[in-house]
Amino acid sequence: MDRDRLRTEVKELLVSGLRLDVRPADIADDAAIFGEGLGLDSIDALELVVLVEERFRVSIPDEEVGKRAFGSVNALVGFILQERAE
Amino acid sequence: MAPAVVITGLGAVTALGGDVRALAAGLAQGRCGIGRLTLFAHTGRSGVAAEVREEANAVVGRLPPATARRLSRPDRFALLAAAEACRTAGLGPDLGRDVGVYVGTTTGGMLVTEEAYRRRRAAEDHRFRLSRLLGTPLATAAAVVSQALGLYGPRETFSTACSSSALAVAMAADAVRRGVVPLALAVGTDGLCRLTYAGFDALQALDTEPCRPFDRDRRGLSLGEGAAALVLEADAHARVRSARPRAAVLGWAVTGDAHHVTAPHPDGAGALAALAGALAEARVPPEAVDYINAHGTGTRQNDAVEIGVLRRVFGRRLARLPVSSTKSQLGHCLGAAGAVEAVATVLALDEGLLPPTVNLRHLDPAWDDLDLVPEAGRRAPLAVAVSSSYGFGGHNVSLVLGRMAR
Repeated sequence: MDRDRLRTEVKELLVSGLRLDVRPADIADDAAIFGEGLGLDSIDALELVVLVEERFRVSIPDEEVGKRAFGSVNALVGFILQERAE
Repeated sequence: MAPAVVITGLGAVTALGGDVRALAAGLAQGRCGIGRLTLFAHTGRSGVAAEVREEANAVVGRLPPATARRLSRPDRFALLAAAEACRTAGLGPDLGRDVGVYVGTTTGGMLVTEEAYRRRRAAEDHRFRLSRLLGTPLATAAAVVSQALGLYGPRETFSTACSSSALAVAMAADAVRRGVVPLALAVGTDGLCRLTYAGFDALQALDTEPCRPFDRDRRGLSLGEGAAALVLEADAHARVRSARPRAAVLGWAVTGDAHHVTAPHPDGAGALAALAGALAEARVPPEAVDYINAHGTGTRQNDAVEIGVLRRVFGRRLARLPVSSTKSQLGHCLGAAGAVEAVATVLALDEGLLPPTVNLRHLDPAWDDLDLVPEAGRRAPLAVAVSSSYGFGGHNVSLVLGRMAR
């Protein structure tokens, strides 16, 4: 799957899955997902693990992997592509 | 001497609108808020309900955005009503330390929980989502209100079925009278959900048309939803800060039937004890009561037992004592009903306006001597009114409210 399409899908999943009041296109590619911008909390983090694992068929087994995967939208896209390649 | 308890703030989110002004206008016009059930699919006998249409999406007060985003409907209702009550009472942030929070509810965020369960069963979700279960505990409404509005006093949640928030009002008044807190916020909130809708329908307790309390053809209740809130306060405390009391809480009593899990006691002994007890505590003789806001669900049993109780307490004078059921306009809001009806009763006292029993076209012949305020409300000077709420399991609460001297 190409990186741009995956990036759009990730943003759409963030908005619909967490019911955010922003447009997918307004989410920055490189901003921290759990920074100030989107106003996410620790419950959203748990939710996002479930959502990403189910949608993209990847595994986020622990906090260390989670921190790496959820660094930013671009980091998450990279993580998914890498997991799929393996 | 125990302080007099007054009501200085009101809030309401009901099928008649998103605030107290809309509720007052709807009650005065005799509007019926009961319509087609749209919130979820239901394939049983009934298909009507009193839904909150103008659900404001703005979450008021100070809540982290993630918390605000996940609030269930009844938690939003509670917060809107509570914020309106605090605003109209003129409570600033400096008073939050002194405010106790007393909430009545029966199903909390059950609708969201049901949807999570449905999605799991339909294999739309493979795992339960934590966010869909956060509103399940009944204590969340009180927690949300307390956090968003900065209220640091004692916090209690009551769940006694349909009398839950009448109990919340009584316990809030009790806390003020005993001097536990100078200010208490009483809230009732509930949202329509499949559990209660299907449950009442299976019990054949729902009318297939909008409910018709006291009507000869009444076939059951109509479920409703919403929230209401009242700020209760020691009279002297209100005077010091120049808050205008809308009414006084004169007395209350709580009793149990110890009889049946759903049916009221056929003699209404518990309901009678609650009403007589509340009047005695208020030191109000029955002949001083000017209006009864009935529980008036529209089921054959409730209305018959309730009128029987009123006849025994008020005797022949009941013929001249207006009795109405605002559930004919707002539906039965379950855990919110007691608080919603307390607000309706305060409005009746404060504005001198009897709210009608709508949909009452064929008065039950057993009650043709009574004034059940059919169809249209009317002006009347009222000094003392009673609001009673009866819950499944035989739990009875009567509140005696009084107009303020002007």
